[in-house]
Amino acid sequence: MRQAGAYSNLLCGGISGRTGPHSLPLARIKKIMKNSSEDVKMISGVAPIVFSKACELFIEELTRRSWIMAIDGKRRTLNKEDIASAVIATDIFDFLITLVSNSDATDANNTVIQMETI
Amino acid sequence: MAGVREQDQYMPIANVIRIMRRILPSHAKISDDAKETIQECVSEYISFITSEANERCQKEQRKTVTAEDLLWAMGKLGFDDYVNPLAFYLQRYRESEGEPASVRRTSSRALPHALPLSMLQQQQHPFSSAMPASNNDNNFYGVGYGFDFDQGFYRDGVGDGGDASSSAAFVPSFDHFPHLKRDNNNM
Repeated sequence: MRQAGAYSNLLCGGISGRTGPHSLPLARIKKIMKNSSEDVKMISGVAPIVFSKACELFIEELTRRSWIMAIDGKRRTLNKEDIASAVIATDIFDFLITLVSNSDATDANNTVIQMETI
Repeated sequence: MAGVREQDQYMPIANVIRIMRRILPSHAKISDDAKETIQECVSEYISFITSEANERCQKEQRKTVTAEDLLWAMGKLGFDDYVNPLAFYLQRYRESEGEPASVRRTSSRALPHALPLSMLQQQQHPFSSAMPASNNDNNFYGVGYGFDFDQGFYRDGVGDGGDASSSAAFVPSFDHFPHLKRDNNNM
């Protein structure tokens, strides 16, 4: 299922998209790569290009899995809980578990702090 | 009041939404917090893969994170389904950059595990037949893979399958594409 999506993009000329050669900005990708760890020194020229495509595949897969959760809930709106459910249900998305549950925790903490300062 | 989201640590939301829309049916709606969550997940994905790739570079005492390192990291971290599409994407990218055919064509063997596009169009599940049974080896996408993205992508002449089934890889020691190298040392 995942492979079919990836290939149909390729075979339909996914490279020269409507918005230019890469649909995700390379400079931004490079910046995020450099921020990933203190000791990332140098990045080869094509590395951000690999990510521009890899991130598309990633977004497509995460969206697909999240949408299944929305359908399960008989909804037509994809919401954050659907993404969290998809992350929990997918082993390779384990690295995202903190992120999808953290946001809720952070909001709760901010609310508590605001109440206390009032 | 919520803190300011530093937009430059994420992919632009319009791009993210556009990609999501390719998957979703036209009647689907996306909540704002879902859009932001996906944005955050993408950045986390980039960091996750890059950290793993960078660790490998450090272990091998190399200074530059290469495309091959990224693909290796993806394979190791469970995103091996992305690797072949990315390999082809890179190949087409290089072709569209206008490399002369004489430079691309060498006498090296065809890439062992990536199939020519024509074969892919015939096959239902190109990956399952192309991928070896076990790829738990950390070096699977390393030297044995048969190409070096930053040196170039080598294959036999057009229409010639050559030793497609050969698993021994030939990694050339010379650089065909010095003119194509970006500022490898200045990124």
